[in-house]
Amino acid sequence: MTNPKLLIAGVFLTVALPFGALLLSSQVQLGDLAPAPEEEGGALYPATVPGLAVQGRDVYVSLGCIACHTQQVRPSGQGSDIARGYGDRPSVARDYVLQSHVLLGDRRIGPDLANYGARVAPAPKGAQTEPEKAATITKSLAAVHAAIHHGNAFAFLYEADAKGDFAPERADALAAYLLSLRQDYSSPEAKLKK
Amino acid sequence: MTQDNRSGRPQGRPSPGDSRLSRVEAQLRGPFLLFFVSAVIWLLVASVLGLVSAQLLRGVSGEVFTYGHVSAAQHNLFIYGWAFNAFFAINLWLTSQLGRFELRNAWLVSLGAIIWNVALTYGALSIFAGDLNGFSLLEMPRTVGPVLAVAFLLSAFWPIVAYAQRPTGHSFASQWFVVGASFVFPLAYLLAQLLVLWNPASGVVQAIAHSWFIQNLLLLWLGGSALAAVYYFLPKVLGRNITGYYLASVAFWTFFLFAGWTGTASLLGSPIPVWVQSVGVVGSAMFLVSVIITAINFHGTLSTQSGWSLAWNSTTLRFISFGAVAFTLYGVLNAIFSFRGFNAVVRFTSFSAGQEQLLTYAFASMVIFGAAYFILPRLTGSLWPSAKLVHLHFWATAIGALGSISASLAVGWQSGKQLADPAVSYAQVLTASAGLASASLLFAILLLVGHVAFALNAFGMILKSSAPAAEGRHD
Ligand code: HEC
Repeated sequence: MTNPKLLIAGVFLTVALPFGALLLSSQVQLGDLAPAPEEEGGALYPATVPGLAVQGRDVYVSLGCIACHTQQVRPSGQGSDIARGYGDRPSVARDYVLQSHVLLGDRRIGPDLANYGARVAPAPKGAQTEPEKAATITKSLAAVHAAIHHGNAFAFLYEADAKGDFAPERADALAAYLLSLRQDYSSPEAKLKK
Repeated sequence: MTQDNRSGRPQGRPSPGDSRLSRVEAQLRGPFLLFFVSAVIWLLVASVLGLVSAQLLRGVSGEVFTYGHVSAAQHNLFIYGWAFNAFFAINLWLTSQLGRFELRNAWLVSLGAIIWNVALTYGALSIFAGDLNGFSLLEMPRTVGPVLAVAFLLSAFWPIVAYAQRPTGHSFASQWFVVGASFVFPLAYLLAQLLVLWNPASGVVQAIAHSWFIQNLLLLWLGGSALAAVYYFLPKVLGRNITGYYLASVAFWTFFLFAGWTGTASLLGSPIPVWVQSVGVVGSAMFLVSVIITAINFHGTLSTQSGWSLAWNSTTLRFISFGAVAFTLYGVLNAIFSFRGFNAVVRFTSFSAGQEQLLTYAFASMVIFGAAYFILPRLTGSLWPSAKLVHLHFWATAIGALGSISASLAVGWQSGKQLADPAVSYAQVLTASAGLASASLLFAILLLVGHVAFALNAFGMILKSSAPAAEGRHD
């Protein structure tokens, strides 16, 4: 313990080894993941999200929603996320490849939101007419905006627009973002049970 | 407590013959007080924010003071404001004591202190303004990161310099821990900034990098610095050797070797490779080796020759042995709750907040308080103004810490158990844990009371010592 070089070198290794083993090798393992089709030639998932939802994501970060909400579904052996209806399958690394900064979260004061969009606006069973489609969208948007309020806590998002009956920009973007949260597709690593 | 210890003289005070500060300490005084005063101010700010966030859980809010903003600012200011500043000060002092290190460039350190605290203020204000990131303890805007790293080097690189230049071949356990901690943090911080904020790694790899960073920050830097202080003050104040001191080097190496592998245990069940999760579980179990050795060193020392009662009667050791016990508890709890079965219950609940508080408050902060009771009288040359405030400080923080940690752990376990049953609705879980909101408010008030008592006493002493009349004072 008397040689300073040895001490520093040792401590350096204790930092470098986990870094190399855990981080660099997971980057090698996961770095090339990309959206994949559900079945041969099908659409790619995770799908790219509309621009409004991308803006909404910034609103989500900037208001600190992550302090109370996670976006990850654990496998059924590890907690009851699937049984609670947070998702039909566990989240996998591929679900996050399009996000520049992942928002997994580490605290649940509120429910998990990884599949909030799929919960509040489930994919329609069978064909819908145009008016039916519009009615569904209006209904799910109303549910999302109701959820955003959290009692009075986030009512300020709606205050700016005093006259209109439609929510102002930030709330709109946030709602679009929340609706885009869905992991309800099959991924090569986690198939949905049909 | 301060006034009535066994020698009849407030401990930590220079002996009567030694009326002036040693030259080494005189050089240190300025930067030390700068760090220390900043630390205490941030502690007060963080405690008030702790109160606010406990209130917000009950639904009061606004654009600036959303729960997310308040809790992030509170967390960052407690860690980077209070604990970092305090350990900058304490590590510097320990270095000067152990290595006879003369701080010739005190102005560089003071510059570091100023940069650190200005950048931190900017970071905290940005959080309130809504300019924040989604990773805990990396929430401040990414531009703050490199500035903090530079300030860290200016403030905390000295122990490494001193260690490399020390005149004698002999070295102490405290030195190793300080050197290791000061070396690890800037490295881990810069790498995490890079991989999480500046040039984000692919998807969930960011989360792995983040969990690795958190363990480096909390265990290696805060924990390592606090262990250094325990290894110094325990034998110093008791006037005896550490029991099984020859094991301390094993404690040091196992601590540094395994701490870096424990992080991913906090990601059990997350969408990351399973082997990465398992490494974290194994790492946390191995980490117990260092916890056990430090327990032998600390509790062994305290258990011989009525050490516990001596420690109880010394203000410094009362805080420091509280911290030493907390560290042992933390290590054991951390290993147990890294196992998948237990972790599945408590993950995402308040349990992990309780675990972290056990490390950062019950261990690290209590050790800081203990060290301050020893060092400040020496550097200021005056007494702690009020023994009553010292008592109030101890009891309020000890009860507040135990209370809030147990509440977080118990409620976390309870709501975890409830959530495991899909038949229990989310609303039911929320109602059942409503007690946590009231309890944490109560304990947050208690902690604030303790911190105000400490601040009054410490600031009173510092002001008294810098007043010109202090020269000819009798006491
Ligand atoms: C103080 C913690 C907290 C914060 C901050 C918070 N939420 Fe919530 N959220 C909750 C709780 C608790 C619930 C459950 C309410 C209930 O079920 O009555 C919830 C429910 C929700 C739901 C409905 C979920 C469902 O499955 O029905 C959505 C959507 C949501 N929050 C989005 C947000 C967004 C967006 C933000 C940021 C603007 C946010 N939350 C910030 C605590 C929080």
